[in-house]
Amino acid sequence: MITWETLQRQWPTLLALIVFTLISLGIGVVANIVGSRQAGFLRKYFLGNRSMGAITVALTAAVMSGGTFLGFPSLVYTFGWVVGLWIASYMIAPLTYLGLMGKRIGQLSRLTGAVTLPDLFRERFGSPLLGLFTSLIILFFLTVFMEAQFVAGAKIIKVVLTGESLSQIAKAEDVDTTDGPAAAAKPTITKEEREAAEKQAYWIALAIFTLTVVAYTTYGGFLAAVWTDVFQSLVMAVGVVILLPLALAASGGLYEATVHSVGKVGTGFAFGPGAGRAFHPITMAFSYFVMWAITGAGQPSTLVRLMAFRDSRTLRFSIIYVTIYNAIIYVPLIFIFITARTILPDLKDSDSVMPTMVVKLANPYVAGIIMAAPYGAVLSTVSGWLLIIASGLVHDLYQRFLRPKASEKEIARASYLATIVVGLGVAFAASQQPPFLQLLVVFSSTGLAAAFLVPGLMTCFWRRASTQGAIAAMLIGPAITISLYMLGSNPSLAGSLGLPPNPEIGPPRGLRPYYLLGFDPCVWAILGSIVAGVLGSLASRPPDAARVSLLFDKQPPNAPAPATLDLHPERAAEVLRPAT
Amino acid sequence: MIDPVYQHARREAIIIITAWLAATAYCCGYCYLYGYERPGFTPGAEDIDPVLGVPSWFFWGVIAPWAACAIFIFIFAGFCIADDDLGADHEAELEADIREGGPLG
Repeated sequence: MITWETLQRQWPTLLALIVFTLISLGIGVVANIVGSRQAGFLRKYFLGNRSMGAITVALTAAVMSGGTFLGFPSLVYTFGWVVGLWIASYMIAPLTYLGLMGKRIGQLSRLTGAVTLPDLFRERFGSPLLGLFTSLIILFFLTVFMEAQFVAGAKIIKVVLTGESLSQIAKAEDVDTTDGPAAAAKPTITKEEREAAEKQAYWIALAIFTLTVVAYTTYGGFLAAVWTDVFQSLVMAVGVVILLPLALAASGGLYEATVHSVGKVGTGFAFGPGAGRAFHPITMAFSYFVMWAITGAGQPSTLVRLMAFRDSRTLRFSIIYVTIYNAIIYVPLIFIFITARTILPDLKDSDSVMPTMVVKLANPYVAGIIMAAPYGAVLSTVSGWLLIIASGLVHDLYQRFLRPKASEKEIARASYLATIVVGLGVAFAASQQPPFLQLLVVFSSTGLAAAFLVPGLMTCFWRRASTQGAIAAMLIGPAITISLYMLGSNPSLAGSLGLPPNPEIGPPRGLRPYYLLGFDPCVWAILGSIVAGVLGSLASRPPDAARVSLLFDKQPPNAPAPATLDLHPERAAEVLRPAT
Repeated sequence: MIDPVYQHARREAIIIITAWLAATAYCCGYCYLYGYERPGFTPGAEDIDPVLGVPSWFFWGVIAPWAACAIFIFIFAGFCIADDDLGADHEAELEADIREGGPLG
């Protein structure tokens, strides 16, 4: 129940959330003013006019979701040093995320005039079907994904409004609808009264979250989304820099903390594969080098940012900046939460280690700011995705298939409307707090990467890649991911297929996939996607020579875009001339 | 003639994938050999052998390669990635095709 007393108790965190919200809204206003000076609505609203600078690209690429910010500390606290290896691929991820496809995606999106990912695939392969497939896969997976983020954002606000234990922030993305901690706080009221009060508080929180994120995203577009990312990344960096010396001083140092924890939970805390459980065998270590550094490059949110940076020099510098940022954030995070085992030796709920450490070590107002970081992470993630979905609806479906001749004003109105409708629609779905949402979230995140990484690489680097190959790669990756998660959640099905029992590795609870030969599904999904893409391409007709030449051969400055070849096929001969 | 931007991007991508493979192989290999319980090696508290407070397998298997990667990235991104002209934006042509060519154009 929301009362004045509970609000007073949570005052520092509440203040931090209010400041975050106001700054986000302010960013929306500034982004709108800056954007209004630029021409071309679609490019401006969905891509920030391809004007992202190095620091913006770096900090938006480095950003973590709310779940990662909360889940990672819990894993370090529970399993020890081996979790550092779990995240170690962040040492090379800046290069793979931004450098692997960045320059080519930036170039191809300019040569084709693409504003969205479906645009890019459609123009590269000359296939409306491929564009439509891309739109539908993004729409489906991202909508589901975003629903979980809305639930998370609402739960964080609800924690503050109702005075729930701060540890519940850590469970913000857990959509378990069982009795909440308010039960303990108000033992005198009936179960029905408590459930009604819980629901009421959740809906109020959801309304606040939805209004904030929809308002600033609609008003500010792409620039507002990326600037919120930057702001939130900076807050997290400040939080980590403040926490590290406090944690080291309170624990007596890293070595002392390690020895103390080894005495408490065994040598597994200091060595692989982890304390108390084979959390991270070496097959999983390899899998996570693929997961963070390689599949992350295939996420639509990453690919869209690669279409938006200013020039090659910007890309180079952003790679350097994100390298510095990762080193400043992730290595200290490992150290901080290694010491947590000594500072908070008997924490019952490891998920609450981050907020509990912050409250214990820092002044309440600093704690409030640091605890607002997961909220900022959710906010910035949602705003970016909201725009990807809105651009898909307006540009790839409405304009392409329904109103090709729509004026810029109409497109602008449709974009604002789509952003608002998608936001409210997802909020409505989130209001029910659907069960099994986490299941769909895992499908979505790994499924999206498995769907778009290999088609992205084919787009950039393989002349012989065909539409059929790209579609095969796009479908096989998610299919393998979903199959392995289904096998993991249904052991009898795996048994009936003659597969050995699922190895007891990875996290002990939550959704577990089937770890075929000990590897995470992302490894098999990417492998399957590569094989499907190569075989599908080689088994089908070669792509149109003129289109390929436009995108892979040196052309004069006045060479047409592939789209012009659709309208004027007679210009194909002119394109092929320089290549022969 | 092949587009030089494509050539540069392909060369850079090959170097990046090689660097990723090297980092993966070194980190997983070193950590498995010196930091993992495995047949024939059951580590005890005395094997922590700290370097700056960090277990030595973690220092040499994660922290040191992290520093090496950072140096490599500074050099590679700072001096080796070519500053290519990514070309003019053809958004207007795409718009024209959408308007005049219809949904399948």
